Amino acid sequence: MNILEIILLIFLVFSAVMTVRFDEELISIIFLSIFSLILTALYLLHKAADVALAEAVIGAGLNTAIFMSAISQIRHSDSD
Amino acid sequence: MLTNLIFIILFMLGFYALIMKTNLIKNVIGLNLMEAAIFFWVISFSDIGGEVSIHKFGETMGKFNDPVPQALTLTGIVIGASTAALLLTLIIELNKFSGTIDRDQIEELND
Amino acid sequence: MNKLVKKTLITAVLAAAAFALYYNFSLLPGYQDLEKGISDYIITYGLHDTGSLNLITAVLYDYRAFDSLGESTVIFGAVSGIVLILSRKMLPVSSKGLSFIVKRTLGIMTPFIALFGFYVITHGHLSPGGGFQGGVILAAISIIFSIVYGSAFDYRRYSPQTKTVLETGGALTFLVIGLAGIVMEGAFLKNLGFLTAERGTLISAGSIPYINIGVGFKVGAGLAIIFYSMIQKTFEEDF
Repeated sequence: MNILEIILLIFLVFSAVMTVRFDEELISIIFLSIFSLILTALYLLHKAADVALAEAVIGAGLNTAIFMSAISQIRHSDSD
Repeated sequence: MLTNLIFIILFMLGFYALIMKTNLIKNVIGLNLMEAAIFFWVISFSDIGGEVSIHKFGETMGKFNDPVPQALTLTGIVIGASTAALLLTLIIELNKFSGTIDRDQIEELND
Repeated sequence: MNKLVKKTLITAVLAAAAFALYYNFSLLPGYQDLEKGISDYIITYGLHDTGSLNLITAVLYDYRAFDSLGESTVIFGAVSGIVLILSRKMLPVSSKGLSFIVKRTLGIMTPFIALFGFYVITHGHLSPGGGFQGGVILAAISIIFSIVYGSAFDYRRYSPQTKTVLETGGALTFLVIGLAGIVMEGAFLKNLGFLTAERGTLISAGSIPYINIGVGFKVGAGLAIIFYSMIQKTFEEDF
């Protein structure tokens, strides 16, 4: 439990709170990507190299692309 | 101890987004958060301070971290991505018919 | 029930659940005290049994290869569902892509991304990586093509038919190796001993590299199909 891990954990909780807090989807998705990136660093600190690679590629890369393509297709009929 | 606390915070945040938010995409994001919290807990819990569980070529074996939870987590991450994609597809299709992604408004349309 | 009462109630339930989880965790023993005979066995004899330096790959594609087959089936089901739901006879949305600078930069970088993807796939038993991670890196190339050059370019280079053939080929490779295990070694997905070479070389570890290649193409093509289906235009009017 070194100082780097504590800093990363604080940022992890911060980005998770930001993900839930905002109402706009785009900001949530960007914070979710940041969350995955911090999680990658934490996995690497816990000596789980394979999981870190998977999380970096899937969580931060592919998930963001899929969420973005989904919200680009959402149509709001009654503009409020 | 700190790991358990962080897990509870992240899991409850995801659960809150899943229950309280009426936006369907926010619900999927909450589901992703809960998933990530569980994976983080499994990896941190199985970390016993050993090496990365890969044999170095030509060296004797050191103390390794447990490879089985890491393999299970790897499986879970890939499945989580594909199920999230399937959920988002269903949301897109629902949006095409109802014109909204708000849970409550879709329920009102049903009445 | 008005909004405030609902919110208070749910917050109370969440707090109770959090407390229950915390109490539960306080009763949990440390990881050292758990009974984990399988893990000790894999750590001790994994290299001897499978010939794979990376023990996680050994667990994924040898000891628990049936799990990986099930996971491939889940991905196949997700891809089938998405393509079924979003299938339309419409051309995908095609833009002209991003600016010239981005196009040229990605044109130089893309072969190296592909090389890294193939490296991660084929060295799965020697270094961190494997079929799943490398496959997603290969799927990222298709996403880059769609975003940077427009999806018409992606359609011309790697049409959905090509991706389907790649995905089916990967799944069939996995199954054929599993069936070869029945014929030659006597159990489904048992490691093929006659393929084993000297440890630490690229073609060592029996059938693990071949399963890696199959899973890599299957996952990569599957996720590329998912992304390609999701960027298709789903309704007529402009937005």
